[in-house]
Amino acid sequence: MDLLSYQDTPLHKIDPRAKLITALFFILTVVSFGKYEISMLVPFIFFPVYLLTSGNIPVVYILKKILYVSPFAVMIGVFNPFFDQGVILQVGNTGIPGGWISFLSIMMRFALTVSTALALISCTGFNNICFAINRLGAPKIFAVQLLFLYRYIFVLAEEAARMVRARNLRSFDGKGKGIKTYGPMLGNLLLRTINRAERIHLAMICRGFDGNIRIMKKYKFGLRELLFVASWGSLFLLFRFVNIPQFAGNFITGLFV
Amino acid sequence: MSHHIVQAENLAYTYPDGNNALKNISFLITHGESVAIVGANGAGKSTLLMHLNGHLLPGKGSLRIGDFPLTKETVHNIRRSVGMVFQDSDDQLFMPTVYDDVAFGPLNMGLPADVVNERVKSTLETVGVLHLINRPTHRLSGGEKRSVAIATVLSMSPDILVMDEPTSNLDPKARRRLINLLKSFKHTKIIATHDLDGA
Repeated sequence: MDLLSYQDTPLHKIDPRAKLITALFFILTVVSFGKYEISMLVPFIFFPVYLLTSGNIPVVYILKKILYVSPFAVMIGVFNPFFDQGVILQVGNTGIPGGWISFLSIMMRFALTVSTALALISCTGFNNICFAINRLGAPKIFAVQLLFLYRYIFVLAEEAARMVRARNLRSFDGKGKGIKTYGPMLGNLLLRTINRAERIHLAMICRGFDGNIRIMKKYKFGLRELLFVASWGSLFLLFRFVNIPQFAGNFITGLFV
Repeated sequence: MSHHIVQAENLAYTYPDGNNALKNISFLITHGESVAIVGANGAGKSTLLMHLNGHLLPGKGSLRIGDFPLTKETVHNIRRSVGMVFQDSDDQLFMPTVYDDVAFGPLNMGLPADVVNERVKSTLETVGVLHLINRPTHRLSGGEKRSVAIATVLSMSPDILVMDEPTSNLDPKARRRLINLLKSFKHTKIIATHDLDGA
């Protein structure tokens, strides 16, 4: 994913802060709808689609990632159809219960917000988002933690994978793979992690670390950023308070009456 | 030149668990010397290196680096003049991109932005990895990581370079390149190694 963030499209050049603010505002407006809202959510698809296309990000790749995390959203909404059976929408002769509507609404919100978050990371880079968070006034420690989490999660995963491989090579007939070895392995991984943390801290101190991560400023919050935030922000407000699909529907049916 | 010396007198260190790692070591390393510390595993090489950047303070005896004896008060000055390259480059490269990582030290030293920028580029060029400047550090190969790790230290223009097994885990070509690179440095070099060719 972060390889995608090293591209050079106009979208990549926009200050991460502008993109972060816009995306947060997008998520807030999408989440703020009532639980049976479907039609008004539709126009919001514009924003993630815009990010994906102008950021030159492969759509299939993002869709796959959304699919990976979708079980969480499904688990949240899956019981709605059972508990909420009151019919609130009539299509022809069949009544659609409110539970299904709210389930669909949850899934749409999930798809919109997650695709936006993924697109944001792909067109900005995780580290730039961390710095944006920091410069927007979030506690320094929070940004630094996120940054280090992202840097070392790969190292940790590799270390864990090596341990698992070493264990598998010496376990036979299901012996040695049980829960009994998991405890010591996890403990061992924790100790290795602590040791590594100490070495990293030492490396940081050696290079003059004093609690502040200083970083060269590569971006400027200029007119372009202001326009980006303002135009998308006002568009979201429009989508939020004006029912565009209904308006369009009325307009089109109006043509034929 | 007297101020880039490293002098140990009866240096001794015992770990809290009772492991007596250093026993009365004395040596004098003068400016521009290249010194290899060779010894079996567990001989105390790393413990000695830990003293050179002030991570450990002498249990007994004394250590002088440059103009300062190593004490709690002088440790910041000493860390400025001693550049330490760690055995595992993943420990050394903690920033998200190569540029940020090489700029980390100079920025902490309070250098102005254009000087930092210049330094990052020139040190990366010195170690021959200028093309990696915008890459994320966790996606580099082992040899690339090692080169960048050396650049992160060189960018602070230290007087003394301390390295813990710089040629470990490198393929022969990368190792040869590294040895040639080290030869081209004018710094005082103190290198712990098992690589007797490199030594």
